[in-house]
Amino acid sequence: MQHQLVAQQLSFKRQQSLLFERLSFSLSAGDLFLVEGSNGSGKSTLLKALVNLAKFTFGEVLWRDCKIDLPVSDYISKLHYVGHADGIKLRLTVLENIRLLAQLTASSHDIKQRSLLDVASVLTLLRLNQHQSTQVHYLSQGEKRRLALAKLFLVSKPIWILDEPLTALDSETQALFLTQLASHLKNNGMAIISTHHFSPFECFAFQRISLN
Amino acid sequence: MLIHFRIILHSELLCCIRQPQSWLYPITFFVIVVSLFPIAFTLDQTLVEKYMPACIWIAALLASLLSIENIFYADLEAGYLEQLLLSPSSLALNVFAKLIAYWMASLLPLIVLTPLLGLFFHLAVPTVLSLCVSLLLGTPILVLLGGFVTALTIGLNQQGALLGLIFLPLMMPILIISVTLIQQSQAGLSIASPAALLAGLALFAMTLLPWVIATVLRMSVDG
Repeated sequence: MQHQLVAQQLSFKRQQSLLFERLSFSLSAGDLFLVEGSNGSGKSTLLKALVNLAKFTFGEVLWRDCKIDLPVSDYISKLHYVGHADGIKLRLTVLENIRLLAQLTASSHDIKQRSLLDVASVLTLLRLNQHQSTQVHYLSQGEKRRLALAKLFLVSKPIWILDEPLTALDSETQALFLTQLASHLKNNGMAIISTHHFSPFECFAFQRISLN
Repeated sequence: MLIHFRIILHSELLCCIRQPQSWLYPITFFVIVVSLFPIAFTLDQTLVEKYMPACIWIAALLASLLSIENIFYADLEAGYLEQLLLSPSSLALNVFAKLIAYWMASLLPLIVLTPLLGLFFHLAVPTVLSLCVSLLLGTPILVLLGGFVTALTIGLNQQGALLGLIFLPLMMPILIISVTLIQQSQAGLSIASPAALLAGLALFAMTLLPWVIATVLRMSVDG
């Protein structure tokens, strides 16, 4: 099968120090790619550069044979990114946030196409329905993380790029996330996930890379 | 496109309303600075009448400088700015919506309060009117340029002082035109030409700066 996302010879230098060098990998539909490394090893930077929020010092990433940083590439509209920070607005309620995030990630094409689940069922799934009119400011860290992940289940996109999605999640939500991930991969989605340890992902077939 | 514009405007306004310090601080600061000037002038009514409108303008300038610092910073910290940057919708329009919400929440109250301050200092009605016109046309430029400077300095530490150093010189032409407008009305002349100049500059800023800010934000976040 042809590879859809190809990374060639990626290097990243920050103020003379080399974070990583000559990383190459390629992913096809249904692949899971895990990035492992200790704190400060450059996991988040790699993921940021993979979504064009930072620039690689050398190397390039191709999505369907087109460089991802070219304006013609549709790569950005095909992916979900959840970074280290949750990316939610603290003064909005859970419901307002979920609407805003879904709207922001959705392109006009996605809006016309019915999404996977409606807002109410995603809230129930993530056990946030009791807090739907609470300002996010008052939620716990884990609840904020759950809210940040909500858009993955709301708007369907082929690529997930997630920076340590399991931090602060309780075991019940972790299990839920892993089932959703499995169905995403089964539907020909791909995922790039940074993590401290591989153990939660052992039930999947995955490619891995260690940054150290 | 417009769906995104509307939802961002709505969300930003909600955030401002739920965070009273975002609009309460600028307006309180504005009133305090304005009331400092007459104290320094002693109680000379001719001086107050002559210079107060310009003082009110300077106070508005400083009040906007005080609050605009945070316009992108909180979103950067929360990771929300990344989501904005990654949205397939137009970043320039989204940024524009954010700036409009900011203007409505922190500068519109100052303009609404200005007639009251005019009454306070016994300013003539035409002077107060022309002051309001100049503020209505000038403050949008203030917000757009402020947004531009904030976007430029967002990646730096201790951006506060630097922000003022870049922002205040940039604002000088606007201040000059606005004060000319008020002086012409005080002299009984028509205010049409400075008002048209200000309006033109505001339109120019609105059509150009959102795109510039969007590009600068992408560059600053990268660093």
